[in-house]
Amino acid sequence: MKKYLTRRLLAGILTVLIVFTINFVIIRLAPGDPVKTLMGRETDDPQLRAALEAKYGLDQPLPTQFVAYLRTAAKGDLGTSIIFNRPVTEMIKEKIGATFLLVFTAAVLALVIGTMMGIKAARREGSLIDIIFSGVSYIFNSMPSFWLGLMLIIGFATQLKLLPSYGMTDIRNTYTGYKYYLDIAKHMILPVGTLILIQIPIYFRISKSSVLQVTSEDYILTLRATGMNERKIFNKYIFRNAILPTITIFGISMAYLITGVALIEIVFAWPGTGRLVLTAITQRDYPTLMGIYLVMSISVAVMMIIVDVVYALFDPRIRY
Amino acid sequence: MKSILELKDYNVTYVNKKENKKVYAVKNAHFKMFKGDSLGIVGESGSGKSTLAMGILNLLPKKSTEISGIANINGDNLTELSEKEYKELRWSKLSVVFQKSMNSLSPVHRIGTQVEDIYRVHKKNATSKEIFERFSYLLNLVNLPDSVYKSYPHQLSGGMLQRVSIALSIIHNPKLLILDEATTALDVVTQGQILEEIVKMEKEMDMTRIMITHDVSVVAASCNKIAVMYAGEFMEIGKVEDVLKNPKHPYTKGLMVSFPSLRGKKEKIEAIKGYLPDLSKKYDGCIFEPRCNKAMKICKNIKPKSIELKDGRQISCHLYGGEENEQ
Amino acid sequence: MIKSLKKIKKIVNSDTQLKLGVYGIIFFLLVVLLAPIISTHDPYNFGPDVLSEINENNHILGTNNMGQDIFSMIIYGARTSLMVAVISALISGILGVFVGGISGYFGGKVDQVISEIINVFMMLPTFFLILLIIALFGNSITNVMIVIGLTTWPSNAKLMRAQALSLRERTFVKGAVAMGENQRQILTKYIIPNGVFPVVANTTVGMSNAILTEAALSFLGLGDPNIISWGQMIQSGKAYITSAWWITTFPGIAIVITVTIFYLLGDGLNHVLNPKHMTMKGGK
Repeated sequence: MKKYLTRRLLAGILTVLIVFTINFVIIRLAPGDPVKTLMGRETDDPQLRAALEAKYGLDQPLPTQFVAYLRTAAKGDLGTSIIFNRPVTEMIKEKIGATFLLVFTAAVLALVIGTMMGIKAARREGSLIDIIFSGVSYIFNSMPSFWLGLMLIIGFATQLKLLPSYGMTDIRNTYTGYKYYLDIAKHMILPVGTLILIQIPIYFRISKSSVLQVTSEDYILTLRATGMNERKIFNKYIFRNAILPTITIFGISMAYLITGVALIEIVFAWPGTGRLVLTAITQRDYPTLMGIYLVMSISVAVMMIIVDVVYALFDPRIRY
Repeated sequence: MKSILELKDYNVTYVNKKENKKVYAVKNAHFKMFKGDSLGIVGESGSGKSTLAMGILNLLPKKSTEISGIANINGDNLTELSEKEYKELRWSKLSVVFQKSMNSLSPVHRIGTQVEDIYRVHKKNATSKEIFERFSYLLNLVNLPDSVYKSYPHQLSGGMLQRVSIALSIIHNPKLLILDEATTALDVVTQGQILEEIVKMEKEMDMTRIMITHDVSVVAASCNKIAVMYAGEFMEIGKVEDVLKNPKHPYTKGLMVSFPSLRGKKEKIEAIKGYLPDLSKKYDGCIFEPRCNKAMKICKNIKPKSIELKDGRQISCHLYGGEENEQ
Repeated sequence: MIKSLKKIKKIVNSDTQLKLGVYGIIFFLLVVLLAPIISTHDPYNFGPDVLSEINENNHILGTNNMGQDIFSMIIYGARTSLMVAVISALISGILGVFVGGISGYFGGKVDQVISEIINVFMMLPTFFLILLIIALFGNSITNVMIVIGLTTWPSNAKLMRAQALSLRERTFVKGAVAMGENQRQILTKYIIPNGVFPVVANTTVGMSNAILTEAALSFLGLGDPNIISWGQMIQSGKAYITSAWWITTFPGIAIVITVTIFYLLGDGLNHVLNPKHMTMKGGK
């Protein structure tokens, strides 16, 4: 187990290093010189240029520059935003809570709902429920998330006027106590709903095929031959074996959500890092973009390591 | 003497409702087994022997299988039992060891956990200690250490897992144990050891056993009776020493000749010409007739009935008077 | 020739998903080819009818805020989607097949190093990287296609590698080695042509992802403004969802249909190309 953990950790660290390298390299490969990119293409303040050059040591050989870059990042300094003129780290810190609220809620709910659907479809394979679930899953799998978000807005907010279509809280009223949380929850329904609908298909597919496969395994036949009742066979033996691939999928889903949530935040004007991304793109605020890319990649790497560890806890074949 | 297992007119048919096709996998099986018997059912792949076992165990998919006839275990006719009644028989009176030992236990649960769950199907209030002691005794019978109890299946070798499956199958002292190709996936040395252990165990527990295999040498080494099956029907059933030394049915003779013998002079190996018949059709005559080198005109038109010879064996062949009525 | 066509038709019809996928693709290709004939207006034309509703003023699906006919835009947008899908899939496929083929065939240290690289790349979040690169290097459609191709090859490489690993043990490959063919020849004549089938099925997933990625990039404002694309249409319609919902709705439906067709094709190909069928066709 220890060996497995160390290997996973090393892989994660390697990934993060590569992300740093990519950041480092593409800035220098991009048209124009790196300092201009970091300063903002419009300005050309000689003082700022001198400061940046000193900070990033651009006259030094590349390896030294790279190490310097790593050092500054390790200190928590991810550069300064061109447009807002604030440290990128600070801006990200402010917004990341709202983002993770969406990501984790959607991840867990998609896992639960998608897996339950898949199990049901597997147990009643070929039935109407199976066909309906499979069809729905197929369609949602082909949807662009942001378009689905827009459609839900049109449907629920504009036409039916049931749910709020933007923001995290009602700007007109300020609630306190549980009403505040209720307000947030109400605003979460559409964005989280969009994310869940997009993610359910992968859970559905994997849990359905996994349950079908496990049910046809020899050990299940053996258990049936012993007279064990079906419910126990399913709840203890089929479930425990079939859930393994789902754990891996959870990691993949988290990776997708962490990187894709920005689009949803933009559609619903959710005050998370997604909005930062949009303004950074339109204004070509590279320090912010690269900082977000870094934070995103580290989050994904961390999630993958956690998921791998959880998988090892569930599957003894990995541990021993 | 009361029989442990008696089959009469036992049929297993696979039904494909969509295409309206039927496959007659087991036809008119009948034999009797008494306490302490060890019956080896042999036949080619596709002869229906596993289907027979799965049918007796009622483990075939209900929607696509039709079972008819009588299968009496100790007074209960299996074909008439409800699933609930069947469950009470399972493992306590009738148990099985399957072929693929590597996958016969859940890979994510410890062996001890599964043993406990299986034990408690019939004895709900047994304590972990009782179960461990009981299984420990059985592990000893099959030459396995106690540490197996705490292990996971993937930590054991194929031979060890097969022994675990065997120990597990006799945990409630069943009256009848079916071993379906249980040693086929093992190397010859391990197979030999396990067969020895089974025979020893059987004497201790006074058990009755059916051994299903395509390997006649396994039957020769460990059974007292042999039943030769072809295309879903029994050709010849009798005591091992009678049938193997003096095979009477042309198919049995063909089988014996197609095995090389370890000792004795070098014999020519002859394969039986022809192929297995299409089991979705019904045949008027003897089902082995197309491949039989002693076939007579009557064999094509009239199915030979099963008759009992003087030495006690059953045979279905016109060479021995198959058109007379059975016993 | 007719005989093999008949055989192909039989295989296609044997699997529902493959059938739907193939007919879907044919339909899609027809739309692309016959675009000038099918569309009612010139999509680039900023007409006089602004924000027309469905079926108003001869516009089947209405117009957007610049007077462009939505229906015609969707038809021409199919061309963009096809181009993006095919070119990025081609780049990704060729790269993946070569890297994976080399890794699997040569084995040993080469394989270990390349495998680790593949695994690490698969862990990286690609969409954001694509976003970054486009933001830095410019948002032309060519850039988009190249970048998608360059970032999605790992999954193809992994598949090809698995194929190469098993193929190099096959007798016909060992025979070629014995006959003295050099490694480049073996790779290009035997390994790649025989192992490429699962990669082809995986490529359809790549194509779907390429279309969705391009749409997402356009939505973020990183699309190519000179080209008509469904993603761009959704983005331009965002400001009008309360007043002119058709601008965003229909291009999205077009994406869903197209992506579904690609997935059906991929699933169908996978069903048909699974090991049982491969032993019948392989070893040409």
